Amino acid sequence: MEDRSHLTTLKGAYDHKMMEVTLRVRRYAGEGARAHTETYTVDVPVTATLLDCLDEIKDKQDGTLAFRKSCRMAVCGSCGMRMDGGAVLACKTAMKPFVDAGHTVTVSPMGNLPVIKDLVVDMAPFWSKIRAIKPYLDTGGAKAPEKEWRVTPVQGHLVSKEALCILCGCCVSECISMESDPDFLGPAALAKAYRFVGDVRDGDTRARLKDLSGAHGIWDCTRCYFCNQRCPKGVDPRDAIAKLGAEAFREGLTRDEGARHAKVFVNSAHKGGFLRETELVPKTIGPVAAITQIPFALQLARAGKVPNPLAPHKAKDNAEVKRLWKLLESQAPKQKERANSGAPIDGTES
Amino acid sequence: MRAAIEAKRAGVDVAVVSKLHPTRSHSGAAEGGINAALGNATDDSPEIHTFDTVKGSDYLGDQDAIEIMCREAPGDIYELEHMGAIFSRFADGRLAQRPFGAAGAPRTIYSADITGHVLIHVLYEQLVKHDIKVYEEFFCTNLVIDDGRCAGVLAWDVVRGGVHAIEANHVILATGGVGRMYYGTTNAFACTGDGMSLAWRAGVPLKDMEFMQFHPTTLKSNGVLITEGCRGEGGYLRNSKGERFMAIDAPNAMELASRDVVSRAEWKEIAEGRGVDGCVLLDLTHLGHKKIETRLPGSRELALDYAGVDPIRDPIPVRPGAHYHMGGVDVDVWGESIVPGLWAAGEVACVSVHGANRLGGNSLMETITFGRRAGQAAAERVLAEGDTGARIERSVLEDERNRINTLLNATGGERPGAIREQLAKTMYDKAGVFRTQSVLEECVEEVHALRERGRSLRIEDRSSLFNSDLVQALELESMLECADCLVTGAVARQESRGAHARIDFTERDDANWMKHSLAWNDRGEVRLDYKPVTVTKYQPLVRSY
Ligand SMILES: Cc1cc2nc3c(=O)[nH]c(=O)nc-3n(C[C@H](O)[C@H](O)[C@H](O)COP(=O)(O)OP(=O)(O)OC[C@H]3O[C@@H](n4cnc5c(N)ncnc54)[C@H](O)[C@@H]3O)c2cc1C
Ligand code: SF4
Ligand code: SF4
Ligand code: FES
Repeated sequence: MEDRSHLTTLKGAYDHKMMEVTLRVRRYAGEGARAHTETYTVDVPVTATLLDCLDEIKDKQDGTLAFRKSCRMAVCGSCGMRMDGGAVLACKTAMKPFVDAGHTVTVSPMGNLPVIKDLVVDMAPFWSKIRAIKPYLDTGGAKAPEKEWRVTPVQGHLVSKEALCILCGCCVSECISMESDPDFLGPAALAKAYRFVGDVRDGDTRARLKDLSGAHGIWDCTRCYFCNQRCPKGVDPRDAIAKLGAEAFREGLTRDEGARHAKVFVNSAHKGGFLRETELVPKTIGPVAAITQIPFALQLARAGKVPNPLAPHKAKDNAEVKRLWKLLESQAPKQKERANSGAPIDGTES
Repeated sequence: MRAAIEAKRAGVDVAVVSKLHPTRSHSGAAEGGINAALGNATDDSPEIHTFDTVKGSDYLGDQDAIEIMCREAPGDIYELEHMGAIFSRFADGRLAQRPFGAAGAPRTIYSADITGHVLIHVLYEQLVKHDIKVYEEFFCTNLVIDDGRCAGVLAWDVVRGGVHAIEANHVILATGGVGRMYYGTTNAFACTGDGMSLAWRAGVPLKDMEFMQFHPTTLKSNGVLITEGCRGEGGYLRNSKGERFMAIDAPNAMELASRDVVSRAEWKEIAEGRGVDGCVLLDLTHLGHKKIETRLPGSRELALDYAGVDPIRDPIPVRPGAHYHMGGVDVDVWGESIVPGLWAAGEVACVSVHGANRLGGNSLMETITFGRRAGQAAAERVLAEGDTGARIERSVLEDERNRINTLLNATGGERPGAIREQLAKTMYDKAGVFRTQSVLEECVEEVHALRERGRSLRIEDRSSLFNSDLVQALELESMLECADCLVTGAVARQESRGAHARIDFTERDDANWMKHSLAWNDRGEVRLDYKPVTVTKYQPLVRSY
């Protein structure tokens, strides 16, 4: 018989074009230890990701380095960390562009979560917020049909972005609100909340929105958009929060301070095309209470964060803002009902 | 998770132990979908699903088990939908179904290209809803058998350190596959066969371990899977000369032939020197920008991220990679093993519904249907029998603490990573898509040598805080044991069936080999034994597509 044993093994299976990557890694051995930075240089294939580099360090240079990993294909959400100060998934970050640019990256743990060791953070606060938004379908007692619930593709599409969330925490890491209020529910939990509020099968919308409109809820978001920017899966949590806000308005949940804050924002932006920050505080909490905020305002002003209240403050062309506004409106309010009725999704109220 | 939910609903006290947070499990990576004969697209029935699965298994699947899965699958799918799973729909609101390899009807329910992700999240949501205790990031290091019964598990707290005893009258293993023993694999880092090796050490045989399915289109850089959908949409496979080599082995089906056929054809091209940089080329360029953007955005992103190739302009280098392990813990149709109180479900188990070759979309279904059944059966047992009295003795816990401590302080010769890499290359080179006696024998020897080397490791991280160095050493041990079972079974099986392709025995041999292999633990060595396949209605036929 012809010898075919050459067939068992692939030629060139392990040949890779290589490159040299240098990384600075923030190290921290746990409570009581002093954080410091270490520099490593590894030889890896040109296709290597940040995670591949860390793995190479761990296997060949320093077994004490700690980080989480599993899928290495950006679906499990394990490997969130900061690179040069912003959250990324290590397994979705190719290193070649940095090598080509001659830039040495610095890797550190995610923000807004306690660090356990090196690049590993304590996710417990993160999970407790996920649990806090009642993260499961509640059909409000409706009896399930024998087969599937009917959900049209248009209805299903309402939550298609939120369904992509892998609970990695990259958004939370960069959330401005969370920095000042660690109890803020935060972008990941709120995106998850919208995944149920926007689900036509869910029958608990009003109660959900009421909870979400309370303290540390949707109105505490500063709209910095860092979450949208940093999310590796295109979930756009800030948009989900905007949709929750719009739904809450629909439900008449406007009494909360936060909701009023949003109303001012809306009116102001609608009229002038810019947010008039100087009007925001008095209109939200009332003129008397606002006086107590003056020291804070002055502090902001000193930091250059408050525009001069006396200068005219109008965008040159607020058509752009109005267009954006229409878009947001068409996406958010009463989506569920409209999708249900098959009516065109346009939205007119504000 | 599916098993835990079922048991909790039945009113018994349950907890989930997982070395990863549950939503980080590898099921989340499944893209394509899950099979149940709902008949939403065209006429379909559990009988046709059964036949397709039996044939796909190359007649090594147990037909009673397959019948059960195909019959109960639709109910399980509706239940997932009621739990809140987000599936893709037809215009009228019913669950959409699409065609998948070797299926007689469009039967695969899906959620765009994130089916597994959607399922893993809906199950986690239900864990929260049912308030089920989860030991997150607890690595199970051993099972405890007390007087012939399962008494619970010993687990290392990955985050804080320390070995804990978790007592339970019943333990259901759901630890997934073992693809990581191969160099080229679609599997996550966590797929290290821990559950199989736990059961094997506890005296349960591992069934049909020689059957590892290779997926034909995985990236060379990190093994990430490029979906079959690329070929479904009209992608070509080419060799270094630009030829569509599938014309030789599958002139009719071409690129759409079954996974094992395509993997073998590719492997041959590469091994005979017609590859490009150790790969063949998956060419989508003729599909055009628009089609790739709209129909295959996920694949384009993966190719860009991990191969640095934009498939709109250039072909993607791909090769076969270890994908799904048909073998596993030998259990019956309720998931119970020969050790009372020890059960298994999912990829870790071998019921067997997949036999020698799994059909795409059937394994997610298996995890759900047999997960539910195991949870249900174990709960019934608890309610009927009450406390079995099996306990974890203090001394057993102490022994395990000592074992882990010794490992933690191991200053021996080699780093776990070095042995792991060697194992993965050995398996890929010598127990890959094509196998033959002499090479397999070398492979057995090398695996034995590696097991020996694995006994003296060097652990660099001595802390108890998030010690992934230790975890990787434990995982290595699992992989080495599973690899030994796999290659020992492969040398013995002198036929070609499903995913096990021998170049020295090219035919299926039903007279001698239509039987399950069982790999037993004989004082640390693998001992083989066999048992018959359950046949109900379907007699073996030649498998051609
Ligand atoms: C890329 C890819 C795509 C796929 N696509 C499809 C598809 O489209 N359709 C289909 O049907 N199948 C598909 N499959 C196969 C299918 O996804 C798997 O067979 C299935 O998800 C396995 O599920 P599981 O629950 O058995 O294991 P997993 O989801 O891997 O879960 C294992 C769990 O066990 C835990 N664990 C493991 N070891 C230990 C330990 N020692 N201690 C404690 N906990 C432990 C892990 O933390 C994890 O939570 C695909 C597989 C891959 C790799
Ligand atoms: S937009 Fe809101 S939720 Fe998002 S990061 Fe900023 S403050 Fe946080
Ligand atoms: S919203 Fe995005 S960044 Fe935030 S947890 Fe989900 S996937 Fe991660
Ligand atoms: S390892 Fe899973 S997301 Fe990076």
